[in-house]
Amino acid sequence: MVRLITHNLLACHVRGCNSNNFPLQFQDVQIGLREAEFNPDFLRGFLPKIEWNALVGAARQLGDTSLPEEQPSMLDDDFLKTLHHVLLEIHVEEGAMVCPNCKHVYPISNGIPNMLLAEHEIG
Amino acid sequence: MRTAYLFVFAQAHQDFRLPEILSIAELHGFTITFPKEGQDPSRPFVVLELEEEHHARLLARRCILIKAVYEFYAQGSTYEEVHEANRRNRHLWSRYIENTSFKFMVSAHNHTIPQWRQREVIESFSYMDFMGRIDMKDPEIVIGCFEEYPNRSGTTRAKDEGDGEFIQVWFGRLIEEGSARPLIKKFDVKKRAYYGNTSMEAEISLFMANQSLASPGKLVYDPFMGTGSMAYTTAHFGAQVFGSDIDGRQMRGKGDQPGIVRAASQYGVSARILDLCTFDITHNPWRCGELFDAIITDPPYGVRAGAKRLGRKKHRPDLTPSTPASVRDPDMPYIPPTKPYELAELARDLVLLSRYLLKPRGRLVFFLPTVTDEYQEVDVQTMLCEGMEVIANSLQDFGSWGRRLVTIRKTTLERYPAPTFDARLPAPNGSEDVAAHVPAHQDFRRRYFEGFRKVVDDESNK
Ligand SMILES: C[S@@+](CC[C@H](N)C(=O)[O-])C[C@H]1O[C@@H](n2cnc3c(N)ncnc32)[C@H](O)[C@@H]1O
Ligand SMILES: [Zn+2]
Repeated sequence: MVRLITHNLLACHVRGCNSNNFPLQFQDVQIGLREAEFNPDFLRGFLPKIEWNALVGAARQLGDTSLPEEQPSMLDDDFLKTLHHVLLEIHVEEGAMVCPNCKHVYPISNGIPNMLLAEHEIG
Repeated sequence: MRTAYLFVFAQAHQDFRLPEILSIAELHGFTITFPKEGQDPSRPFVVLELEEEHHARLLARRCILIKAVYEFYAQGSTYEEVHEANRRNRHLWSRYIENTSFKFMVSAHNHTIPQWRQREVIESFSYMDFMGRIDMKDPEIVIGCFEEYPNRSGTTRAKDEGDGEFIQVWFGRLIEEGSARPLIKKFDVKKRAYYGNTSMEAEISLFMANQSLASPGKLVYDPFMGTGSMAYTTAHFGAQVFGSDIDGRQMRGKGDQPGIVRAASQYGVSARILDLCTFDITHNPWRCGELFDAIITDPPYGVRAGAKRLGRKKHRPDLTPSTPASVRDPDMPYIPPTKPYELAELARDLVLLSRYLLKPRGRLVFFLPTVTDEYQEVDVQTMLCEGMEVIANSLQDFGSWGRRLVTIRKTTLERYPAPTFDARLPAPNGSEDVAAHVPAHQDFRRRYFEGFRKVVDDESNK
């Protein structure tokens, strides 16, 4: 868990941290690979929600370079399979996600990220 | 041309029956029509019309509350009426006369018919002249005749007393037995690898999954995930589920592998649990909206798992930032102070958040506890906002209190900003009357512990 699909949807939400608060940077991660069901319709439907550069960057940070720099306009099966693997089959189990702006550290333990804020961060 | 079907419902959750079949019809893109005026949906036999027999099968395979579906031949308050109607409908069954093996079933609701009279009933249909073989094990068709009796539980009667004093007789040919009901056993909380005292019973979790239109390719979210009861049933029907909770321990349990992942593995759906996150819904990290096909949740209403949110009851500017305590607990690198979260406020926030996070036509399915005597239709209206419409509202009655399973559809295509979660009363919705109305679920926790004594006027407006 903490798959890249999730990472792509989470931004730092500390009060006042409104710019450059996404994507969170992975730190000291341990990853695992686990198979997921391939559903091309789901992927096609979800693609418009994805921040492409953030996804490519996160995948590279985790050592996966299979995605092209530019989001392809042709969604063929090969591409969807690659996308499927990157979005859903790479799991970050331990480590942290760090805000590039305010440096808040969101720790990940047993695959569950802690996105809680402290009192002084919620205003 | 539509055909009439006789639906036999399980004797449970009467208020949930029609919403469930309407949801599954919508999921599969067909419609149901109600041919008879004034049918009482709380009775276990209901006649509905469908375009195709296949639709009846789809309903029987997915609806938790369906026991069986029959092609409808006849009904009546006497057998004379039944036979007369059945003769008129000869065209429906004449093709089985010649050469079809069959089984004839006679049974009763709220009663047991003595054997001798069961035979009598079967013989009274002899004019149908079925020439095929009687086959009790593997018949080509099953013909069913049901006598419906009033509920006489609590009274003691001699054996067979009142036999024949039925309200109605129903007659038809079996299309399909309901095959979703056995899932209630499969998802039995007590047999689950991980559960807690907030876990939702299996039948309701299945029912909620149906209300959410869970199916392959859909993305569903539970923002008060707890031990994840509805995630398993939702994932069982093919959807992928995202869960979050302010208290990570609820999702983890003991041991390294999170409890929710262990339970999901037991059901073979762990790959469909997309992720679990710890956060307060009122301070959430979602980067954008319009993500989910459904939000399915049991909000904390304070009886077992009180609603809390980050922040202190009173603002204390003298306080220094809390100290990191990363060694203590993976869910609490800081000590998150929590203040109580009033239910009416929470319900409104949940609707606003759902409008932001749901895709157009997405559904919000959730429970709202309420004081039975004081509930008014307008209570649910107090939490609505523009673009969100109630499509089902079913009561589960526990006596002095109850809970309503509310299904809301996002009807708007408009993009709304993320809600701000500032406590603000009255509601942003509609008329002033609605805005000023104090719903029966307000202050639910306190009133639960007070045993729902009638509130005096000046109290209720606090
Ligand atoms: C009624 S329980 C949900 C139970 C769940 N359906 C299950 O099967 O166990 C409500 C949950 O909401 C959580 N909760 C309370 N306040 C919250 C908040 N402000 N944000 C997120 N979660 C919250 C509680 O920790 C609790 O687990
Ligand atoms: Zn930040």
